[in-house]
Amino acid sequence: MPGEIPAFLDPSQWLPVALNASPADVRRALNSSQPAEADFAALLSNSAGDLLEELALRAQELTRRHFGRTLSLYIPLYLSDYCSGGCVYCGFAADRKQTRHKLEPDEMVAELDAIKAMGFSEVLLLTGERTPHADLDFLVRAVETAAQRFAAVTVEAFPMQAEDYRRLAQAGAVGVTIYQETYEPVQYENMHRWGPKRDYANRVETPARVLEGGMRTVGLGALLGLSDPLFDSLSLYRHAMHLRRRFWQAGVSISFPRVCAQEGGYNPPFPVDDSMLARIIFAFRICMPDVPLVLSTRETPKFRDGMAGVGINKMSIASRTTVGGYKAPVESPDGQFHVNDDRDVESFCAMLKGKGLEPVFKNWDKVYRD
Amino acid sequence: MNDGLKLNLGGREFDSRLIMGTGKFASTEIMIDAIRASGTQLVTVALRRFNRERPSDDLLGPLLKLGVTLVPNTSGARNSSEAVRAAMLGRELSGSPFVKVEIHPNPHHLMPDPIETYEACRELAKHGFIVLPYMPADPVLAKRLEDVGCAAVMPLGSAIGTGHGLSTAEMVRLIIADSGIPVIVDAGLRAPSEAAAAMEMGCSAVLVNSAIAAAGHPAEMAAAFAMAVKTGLAARRAGLMSRSDHAVATSPLTSFLAGA
Repeated sequence: MPGEIPAFLDPSQWLPVALNASPADVRRALNSSQPAEADFAALLSNSAGDLLEELALRAQELTRRHFGRTLSLYIPLYLSDYCSGGCVYCGFAADRKQTRHKLEPDEMVAELDAIKAMGFSEVLLLTGERTPHADLDFLVRAVETAAQRFAAVTVEAFPMQAEDYRRLAQAGAVGVTIYQETYEPVQYENMHRWGPKRDYANRVETPARVLEGGMRTVGLGALLGLSDPLFDSLSLYRHAMHLRRRFWQAGVSISFPRVCAQEGGYNPPFPVDDSMLARIIFAFRICMPDVPLVLSTRETPKFRDGMAGVGINKMSIASRTTVGGYKAPVESPDGQFHVNDDRDVESFCAMLKGKGLEPVFKNWDKVYRD
Repeated sequence: MNDGLKLNLGGREFDSRLIMGTGKFASTEIMIDAIRASGTQLVTVALRRFNRERPSDDLLGPLLKLGVTLVPNTSGARNSSEAVRAAMLGRELSGSPFVKVEIHPNPHHLMPDPIETYEACRELAKHGFIVLPYMPADPVLAKRLEDVGCAAVMPLGSAIGTGHGLSTAEMVRLIIADSGIPVIVDAGLRAPSEAAAAMEMGCSAVLVNSAIAAAGHPAEMAAAFAMAVKTGLAARRAGLMSRSDHAVATSPLTSFLAGA
């Protein structure tokens, strides 16, 4: 039986608006000083698609107002590709025939030092679903090692309990990213073939446990392409609003991962094109002007350059989606997903400068750790 | 209220009454041009933007070379103990006795926490800092902060980065009326005319960041704010006529009594 979407996430009421909003509804949303849920839905509509330039202008204005003429940078480090999960779309799924790796302690130090030498101050540590190779103790050690070197350490891993997140926070992590993948319960079940990740309700409740565990920030997202993007965007909006109301000290950020081709030739059932992705990002920026919006190197240089400072205020760069790979080339070149923007740090920063944006590497300090 | 010829903060005197923030600029060069154009002598900078490991990302190094007085701020702290730690580190790295206490536990709207701000200020004043607290525009809190040894109070004009101007004007007036230390409006100003209005109202200085950093031409906007601050102060010193709800005849009805 598929899980049920909890009432606080259920977007049914607003789906008709997202499907049928008129240009007048979109203009009202664009001009609102306090856009509400109906405005967000209108900004996702096809009528909004016809007014994309106006959405972009408003998104840029709000991004500039809240985040200035800057773009924050971070880098991911995959710690392990051992995974017990059966996600249909993922290059690390347990049934993929590939040699698995994890970083041993000395490799972890070498990788983190290599990243540090690239100038980064914020690192995102990733694993797959929980396995004996990569469990909570492994993650805690990784966070401790990273926290000795980086101002900001964040984690993207399997769902845990609040006390586990507390351990990670005490080890030096400031935030956790946990994507719902899709908020649509039937598609969620289709996409996650076995294991703990099949538990929709558990995953949906995880961001709240992250914050109960004392993390300062939680990163949300839907993996666009798995289900109706209107449904997922509306639920994601509701999820962010819910968490902000419940945890008044929490920082919530939103990422926009989109399924792209990777090993196994998976084709997403609801492909999201560039124009639709831009519309979704603009809608979030216009309705949540003070929430950090993040875009990874899954996207092409052309798309990222266009979105930098126009809605998006934070990006990864020079990423490897293989286990390690910063210090030394890896044996298996297949990562979790294909990196479409493979520019190095300096050329990416030169692009930002050319657009009048200051790349910001350090926007946090170790002194704020407990 | 501090209304001498110079701005006096903790025994240090400054000619300029425009304090500048350093976030949100498109580049360090643009920030420095704006600081120079503003003529400011006091600049606040977030400790979290100190980056000794990547000079091109560091705000402290270039500011130290400018010859302005630095006011490290604790932006990022969500309680008093974090703010105190950040202040200590900021003093060590910058060599400045000033600290701007910024404690905003909600990272989205960035409103200052009055309880934690009070605690941090009390602690930092004891440690010899010249304490400048960013605070809600609350006249009671302002007196409490004065009592624990703050060198000024910095009530918000409106929320950080919003450009909504002096939406707290009524409260700021009450703060000024009772304050024995300088009152500096911090946050929310969008236009130089609002900075002039704050000075006319009785503020001792204003702090501006977003309005300059987000301007089409930051250095020109910084210069415009500097002029507005001087104009507002000059107007206050010249003695603004009082407001009246009705027209006042030039020949008052009681003129016949003159010489009686």
